Amino acid sequence: MSALAACGALLQRDVRAVLRSRSQLYSTILLPLMLLAILGTGVSQGLDPTLVRDGDYATFLVPGMIAMAVLFSSTFSSASYYRDRDSGLMRVMLASPHSPRVILLGKALAGVSIGGLQALAVLAVAAAIPAIDLEWQHGVIPGIALAAIGIALLALLLNGFAQVVASRIRTMQGFHLVMNLVLFPLLFFSGAFFPLEDLPAWLKVLATANPLSYGVDLLRIAVYDNGSGYFGLTLDFAVLTALAFALFAWGLRRHPGYHW
Amino acid sequence: MTTTAAPPATDLAAQVQDLSFTYAMPGGEQRPALDGLTLDVPSGAVFGLLGPNGSGKSTLLSLLVGLRQPSAGEVRVLGQPPSAAIRARIGLLFQETSLDPLMTLRETLWLHGRLYGLAGHTLRTTIAQTLGSVGLADRADSLVSTLSGGMKRRLELARVLLPSPQLILLDEPTTGLDPDAEAALWARLHEANQTGATIILATNNVHEADKHCRQVAFIHRGRLAAQGTPAELKAGLKRDAVWVEWPDLPPTLTDEIAAWEGVGKLTWAHPTLHVTVDAASAFVPRLFQIAGDAIRAIRIRESTLEDAYFDIVGASLSDQGVDG
Repeated sequence: MSALAACGALLQRDVRAVLRSRSQLYSTILLPLMLLAILGTGVSQGLDPTLVRDGDYATFLVPGMIAMAVLFSSTFSSASYYRDRDSGLMRVMLASPHSPRVILLGKALAGVSIGGLQALAVLAVAAAIPAIDLEWQHGVIPGIALAAIGIALLALLLNGFAQVVASRIRTMQGFHLVMNLVLFPLLFFSGAFFPLEDLPAWLKVLATANPLSYGVDLLRIAVYDNGSGYFGLTLDFAVLTALAFALFAWGLRRHPGYHW
Repeated sequence: MTTTAAPPATDLAAQVQDLSFTYAMPGGEQRPALDGLTLDVPSGAVFGLLGPNGSGKSTLLSLLVGLRQPSAGEVRVLGQPPSAAIRARIGLLFQETSLDPLMTLRETLWLHGRLYGLAGHTLRTTIAQTLGSVGLADRADSLVSTLSGGMKRRLELARVLLPSPQLILLDEPTTGLDPDAEAALWARLHEANQTGATIILATNNVHEADKHCRQVAFIHRGRLAAQGTPAELKAGLKRDAVWVEWPDLPPTLTDEIAAWEGVGKLTWAHPTLHVTVDAASAFVPRLFQIAGDAIRAIRIRESTLEDAYFDIVGASLSDQGVDG
């Protein structure tokens, strides 16, 4: 009984579920794009945009919105664990000829794939909007490849975190509460909405301790034109890779719990 | 107690020896569900585990598939200890509905088939055949949420049968089904049994166990109380069963009643006096003559395995235990 085939089947099933759940699909992609349009235009024209490059706040927001898409998608994907548990399908999966780890891995890989594809969709739509001027400082193809790697690492990290939270919170409501409570503040001081360079020292410390900051920084290096970014490509990669794999592995360590 | 001779170990679909399992409850409380259970299930049998809710039947099923680890004792299934690999040869029908309402019937079986190593044309053909065998071929692309309760049960049965399991475990499979749906489900299960699958049924439905099982084990508080064919277990019972709620029954009267003509097995478990008799129409008036208004309630019906269970165990199948 191939564990790879089982993971592939679980992945395919979860992708199909997301495609069928239009509200989840659209909200994950549309909300970042709406923020991009409304917040980006509003700040560019109404506030002091001189702190970002060329005053083009909408373009500045793109990496943060990509990170937000991954964040939303990871939250939704891990919530499917609760849906499977409550529908009883989880116990059927656990009674199959695979270890609980394989079942969790299949579901986690589905979450990573869905999150990655949705984030790439946000990038594709943003790139197609004429008012958004992505610089691709390393070239389009290398930039897209770099962004895709950054998205994959972010998806691994956030899905791992969501799995860890899901292993400790019994109800879906509690899960969403904790995810919102932790992840939204992280998103706010990750550099997604404002440059880290001009923040007060205490916020810079928080931003430096925030894993999402490295993801946003890496994405900004990929699609923007700000040289080596705030932390630098090497540090972005090192921190993201280490945390992504550590959290993903930690998330897989939990036993999904057996409810007859 | 009636028992049949144990078959050789190689002919056993399941074998448990001194099996115990204890649930660790919140607050540190320990609740035993199985307490030294020993049981042999012959290959090819339709084998019933009969006991009230909480007697340990569902816990036993979960141990047979290796989803829980025993506190003590030994389990062997299809000749091997339970493992992920052995689960490829076991089909399990849960008591509660276990379906994703947002998947179609075909997707439900496809996922299950993939988890059991089926693929490609073989899987597609098997899905079509299996859906047809449970009368759901025309609903293959409907969402599960649009099915009736009986259809969902049939779909779950199709899922169990899809990988052609050698051992089928059923946990209260017909709860909530109407008689036609129950008959259809059992017809398909008997077909599977005739092609070699062993069936273990966990139930507290005496009629289902009596009708469909060739062997029945009475489970009480996590232990085996008796095992045999339904006929063997019911041996000694008279035609009619009389259940009398008589809280103040003087102990000396039980001996007197037991000596009456036409009275078979008599069991007293406060507040219930249980008697099987040749003819309730003769026994009950006589009982009222000596009891007067001390009797609070009385129930009369044809003797079943439930009467055998009460006689052997001294408790009703409706008594609640600790846990599954």
